[in-house]
Amino acid sequence: MTESLVAGSPNPLSHRLFARPEIGATAAAGVILVFFLAAAPAFRSGGSFFTVLYQSSTIGIVAIGVGLLMIGGEFDLSAGVIVTTAGLANSMFCWWFGIDLWVGALLSLAFCLFIGFVNGYLVMRTGIPSFLITLGTFFVLQGANLGLTKVVTGSVTSPDISRMDGYPLLEGVFASNFDAGGVTVWGTVLWWLGFTALAAWVLQRTRTGNWVFAIGGSADSARAVGVPVVRTKIGLFMTVSFLGWFVGMHTLYRFNTLQAGNGVGNEFLYIIAAVVGGTLLTGGYGNAIGVGIGAFIFGTTSLGIVYAGWDPNWFKAFLGVMLLLAVLVNLYVKSLATSTRLLRDSPGKADDA
Amino acid sequence: MDDDVLLRMRGIVKEFPGVRALDGVDLDVTAGRVHCLLGQNGAGKSTLIKVLAGAHAPDTGTLSWQGEEVRFSSPSSAIHRGIATIYQELDLVPGLSVADNLYLGHENASAGFVRRAAQGEAAQEVLKKLGHPEIPVSREVGRLSAAQQQIVSLARALARDARLIVMDEPSAVLAHDEVANLFRVIRDLVAEGVAVVYISHRLEEIRQIGDEVTVLKDGRTLASGLPAAGTPTQQLVSLMTGRPVEYLFPSRPRRTGSAKALLDVENLSLEGKFESVSLSVAPGEIVGIAGLVGAGRSEVLETIYGARRRTSGAVTMGGRALPAGSVRAAVRAGMGLAPEERKSQALLLGEPIVRNVSLASLPRMTKVVPGWLDRRREKATAQEATGELEVRPGDVTRTVRTLSGGNQQKVVLARWLLGDTRLLLLDEPTRGVDVGARSEIYAVIRRLADQGMGVLLVSSEVPEVLGLADRVLVMREGRVVHTAPAGELDEHRVLDLVMEGIVG
Repeated sequence: MTESLVAGSPNPLSHRLFARPEIGATAAAGVILVFFLAAAPAFRSGGSFFTVLYQSSTIGIVAIGVGLLMIGGEFDLSAGVIVTTAGLANSMFCWWFGIDLWVGALLSLAFCLFIGFVNGYLVMRTGIPSFLITLGTFFVLQGANLGLTKVVTGSVTSPDISRMDGYPLLEGVFASNFDAGGVTVWGTVLWWLGFTALAAWVLQRTRTGNWVFAIGGSADSARAVGVPVVRTKIGLFMTVSFLGWFVGMHTLYRFNTLQAGNGVGNEFLYIIAAVVGGTLLTGGYGNAIGVGIGAFIFGTTSLGIVYAGWDPNWFKAFLGVMLLLAVLVNLYVKSLATSTRLLRDSPGKADDA
Repeated sequence: MDDDVLLRMRGIVKEFPGVRALDGVDLDVTAGRVHCLLGQNGAGKSTLIKVLAGAHAPDTGTLSWQGEEVRFSSPSSAIHRGIATIYQELDLVPGLSVADNLYLGHENASAGFVRRAAQGEAAQEVLKKLGHPEIPVSREVGRLSAAQQQIVSLARALARDARLIVMDEPSAVLAHDEVANLFRVIRDLVAEGVAVVYISHRLEEIRQIGDEVTVLKDGRTLASGLPAAGTPTQQLVSLMTGRPVEYLFPSRPRRTGSAKALLDVENLSLEGKFESVSLSVAPGEIVGIAGLVGAGRSEVLETIYGARRRTSGAVTMGGRALPAGSVRAAVRAGMGLAPEERKSQALLLGEPIVRNVSLASLPRMTKVVPGWLDRRREKATAQEATGELEVRPGDVTRTVRTLSGGNQQKVVLARWLLGDTRLLLLDEPTRGVDVGARSEIYAVIRRLADQGMGVLLVSSEVPEVLGLADRVLVMREGRVVHTAPAGELDEHRVLDLVMEGIVG
């Protein structure tokens, strides 16, 4: 036992490096980027790079929340439709009552946070897996989006908001872009980077960050040492719905009108970004930078296929392969990180496999 | 003296469905002393600790802390009073650093931001106190060795400025030289006026570190305030074992001793769990393994069964050598295992009795079409097997979940009756079986043996092993320390062996 203590201490740099959650994703992102740079000449410009970043940001912002929630050991399948719900709530409320879009945006925010709270509260209160609870919320919101839009506008498209009060300012906040040396940079890219940095900071440096890891890794232990498990988990669900609201605002103020059926299926893209970025599906492991890189891989691939002139219908198949590879890489990295320990533990322990 | 009583428990009762785990426990813990809790498995020690730590609320009884009556509504309310608990089974958070793990739940933070440097230094200090300054406080716990993780979980309790530290068998997971280290730390803590409640099965440890001993038995305080160093072993052991209920054990048939061995195990080892265990079981013989939890008994069974891959040694069944780590080969050779965790490892709780019984012999239930089950035959055979073991209720379509513990165990046994099982491996066959039903299980096991089956039995309850087995192996810390016919041993002798390793 004593020599095992000594043997565990020196940890070669390669091991330390490979034990980072995002290392597999970074390597994959590099390979994919180089691949499309070689395969698609149109891809090799500053403009397309920033288009890729924009594409990544629309998925990446919500994926941060989903990633945090997954580190905390829970799922949110309603994260895709809540984006649309947020936008619809804002536009239709203001259109119906003729009030300033600012008020609508804040009401929409309150509503989204409430949905996040309900998700979290139900999961904690009933003990039903979050997969099921949020699957329920997902369908409720999907149906309500379509049904209510039909009631209010008579069609499945939300009213145009571009001439309503408060529009220019909100557009500036949520859907602006600027020119940087000849390329268009969307504001959401900056927001995305900002949120990622903030999430990374929270996870690494704050008490709340420690709690997130703890409730995902070992909720019982966390509770036994006094971590407010319920509060933290509900907070994570609300974080997801906040970020969903944010992207919903962007979509609304960029396109001025929304299709009520949008957003369905995106919840899986968020989960893929998080998993590809090294987040453990079972919780307790992962980081925000990795999720960002996962979203970047998504952006690169979805546009790379277009620039390479391939049939974009193949995109989903490609994503699926990416996901499987990512899971395999994570498994390998994880076993590498713990290999010294596992070897020393009784080698024949079949129940630990 | 009365002012020094830090914690006083009076008449604590805690009931779970079907069990009265605590039945009026009294406990006084004094500041600056090491208070040892002694008791056999099921005496209520773990439940008592959980009440102390706020994880369970007692049904009745009072708890006072520094003379003031308190109710702990959650673990954190106990923690805030200054009670820290080292549980055996609670893990660390693998994704967090050592320092973060030590201070989880009571972070040194301002405005939510963890004071990394200060916390790291404090963590370093705690580890140094424990004699392990080499453990890097910033490394993720998931990447430490198993031994280092054990040190960290110990350090976690010390990182709180606790007035009372409860340690639930800390030595069970520590290496030998770490125990000495732990004792040094305990002495330092006690000198600072901290109270320690120390739970251990090992009498020699209690003598070494303890001040006073409380003996628990069947959820009651049997004796308290016994001097840890001065009380004779005999007295402690008889307090622990004095048994109100005498079980009825079936009588043993006279054995001729010439039967050829059914199972032969030679120098079986599983690294880190047990070493060179040799044993044999003859047809019709019941061999018992006695020992404490953690002595490696269950692991021996699971390794023979192939559920764990042996490091070295040989297992021969009916003259044929079995490959390592193959449950399939073991079952084919005629072995059947009734595991300790009956509900999770052996039974499909939501399924009817018949499905549970036929599970291991489905190939024999097929009709003409391969893979197509003959439900009628399945039911008839299950009916027969459960009838033979007197499973109640007799209706095989009843869901297993609704059966009592004893009848659930019989369902597991019935499963192996159906197949060509020649050797039964039983791990704690009466765990969770109420006292009345135990004698029935014993009778069933003996009857199976009389029909020519070999039985290898593991139990924490010494009287059970002694009463049921023909031959007894005593294990201690991964080794067989003694083998003898059951008739030549008594409970005291076995407890001496498992606790202190005294041979002769």
